[in-house]
Amino acid sequence: MEHLFEQLQQNFSQIVGYIYPNEIELHWGILIVVYPYITGLVAGAFILASLERVFDVKEVLPTYRLALLTALAFLIVAPLPLLAHLGHPERSFEIMITPHLESAMAMFGFVYLWYLLVVLILEIWFEYRGDMVLWSRSGKGLKKYFYYLLTLGSLDTSEKALWFDQKAVKFITIIGIPSAFILHGYVGFLFGSIKANPWWSSVLMPIVFLFSAIVSGISLMILVYGITALFRSKQIDMVCIDKLASFLFYTLIIDVSLEVLDFIHRVYESVESIHIMEQMISQKLFISLVVVQLLIGTLLPLTFLAFTKLLRFPDELKRLIYFVTAILVQIGIFSTRWNVVIGGQLFSKSLRGLTHYKMELLGIEGLLISIGLLIMPLVILAILIKILPPWQDRTAAVS
Amino acid sequence: MENPLFRLIRFGWGLISLPDQVKRLIFIFVLLLIGWFAIRSRLVPETFGEKGHYRRAALEANAALPVAYVGQSDCVLCHEDVGDLKRKSYHRSVTCEVCHGPGAAHLEDPETNLLFQPKERGLCTLCHGYNSSKPTGFPQIDPMLHNPNDPCMMCHNPHDPKPPHTPAECGACHGEIARTKSVSHHASLACTLCHETQEIHKENPRLAIPGKPQSRAFCGTCHGETADSPKHIPRVELDSHGNGDLCWQCHYPHYPEVF
Repeated sequence: MEHLFEQLQQNFSQIVGYIYPNEIELHWGILIVVYPYITGLVAGAFILASLERVFDVKEVLPTYRLALLTALAFLIVAPLPLLAHLGHPERSFEIMITPHLESAMAMFGFVYLWYLLVVLILEIWFEYRGDMVLWSRSGKGLKKYFYYLLTLGSLDTSEKALWFDQKAVKFITIIGIPSAFILHGYVGFLFGSIKANPWWSSVLMPIVFLFSAIVSGISLMILVYGITALFRSKQIDMVCIDKLASFLFYTLIIDVSLEVLDFIHRVYESVESIHIMEQMISQKLFISLVVVQLLIGTLLPLTFLAFTKLLRFPDELKRLIYFVTAILVQIGIFSTRWNVVIGGQLFSKSLRGLTHYKMELLGIEGLLISIGLLIMPLVILAILIKILPPWQDRTAAVS
Repeated sequence: MENPLFRLIRFGWGLISLPDQVKRLIFIFVLLLIGWFAIRSRLVPETFGEKGHYRRAALEANAALPVAYVGQSDCVLCHEDVGDLKRKSYHRSVTCEVCHGPGAAHLEDPETNLLFQPKERGLCTLCHGYNSSKPTGFPQIDPMLHNPNDPCMMCHNPHDPKPPHTPAECGACHGEIARTKSVSHHASLACTLCHETQEIHKENPRLAIPGKPQSRAFCGTCHGETADSPKHIPRVELDSHGNGDLCWQCHYPHYPEVF
């Protein structure tokens, strides 16, 4: 009992003003920060993939299959932070056997399943089917049977069958775009619809989430494409990466504009919560919001990208700038998620005080688990790349 | 000779006029769906959904959990004297287990399971440590200045936490203001010079709230142009200065800087 009082006393020293007793501990920690971050990467990577297939942006072809596999790798990990957060991951299968049809939170299960089974896996299957048949025919031993299993026995490689595969891919991508919007828009909706929380309650929230997802997905693909090219000792396709950087630049501008609009809206409305928000931004969230999200994660990347557009740089320098920019954007987007999730719980419902978030290092909701969950998609991606090599040459495809 | 079942499947397969890939995918999806229903029929708990989207038997399982807290009414069955004392005190709404912890085990075997007795200052300051957001009149102290080395219980009985003697100085309760004022130009002025205070306020603060100066003339007795006060004191023309607002609407009297 005594150690609980001591712990309480320590927490007390971090509190500013007046808070209600049940607000001293934050219920959503870093795992719930990781969840929208990863989901955003999935949606962003998929939307990038759709650029090539639906909008016929041929420049980004080298990243098309890679983006699909990246989206799948991150999608597999997306629900894990939630399951770990619930405290009993071993019971997580129960949501599969007794799905709730009316809970907004349970909707994620349906959105997730739809996206996983109907969009991503199907698109990847149709996209790779022809190749898998070839790999199965040319493979030996276990490899042969493994790819045969993946084709589900559909071995027809006639022109008509391959034409149908491509049509199916296009059709699924068209369904996939609104699905990706729903997937991440849903995460924004979950926060935006909590009317008791002035930091979250905003109709702009799903849209802001969506655009930040696209930004994070494109910057992730710049990183993944750059790193895989490095490992394969292949030259980076400058036309492709220039196009990716352009898209990153435009979507980042839209994302910033939306966030600024949201900010102006809040300041102009100046409802009673504005004072505690102001206090929170200037005290508890100053580093993560003003310094990391705004300066390092948004303005600096925008400046870098603007320079690459305005001035003529050698390719090597441009690649370096894109790479650094993509890392900064990732840091910025992660802190965006942090500021939404943690920020929304830092102020008291009394609007008179601020509480404090003390992150665990070990434990099921700790930093180490979160780092593990962020590394896991990269491992899955490496395995997926091994199984389904995504390399496509743009010039060969165009010719 | 081919198995008749396979022949039947092959025949049915040929009848569906969909591309081969789609038929195989539909087949897999149907298999998954059948698998899901099969798993569901085995794994959904028996009483699930009877009263809502939960397992009804969980209610009984939770009700059967051991009780940790017993409530004040059980404590006073044995500790009647403490109950009587506390009932009339300022701590009447603070139940026993708030400070002493859960008491169910103690109720079972009072000799072996002794309750927690808080002796450190930390517990009391959770409520009585100074915090500007707490309501005026709620007893608060600064733990660093208020007898820092002594446990609270040395002077205050937690079951009847009256101060041991009536506070001599206003700063005993209004410490923040007293400290601010002590470094201001008004340090030498007694609080009662400006705040008319009845004696009973010291014992029962809310019964008689001290007054505040209600006119500019009051401050003018020192700060007016014609005031009979030492020459170094700042002067103002009372009739024209400050649009007729009360002085303390612009100047904080406990730390009166001109701004």
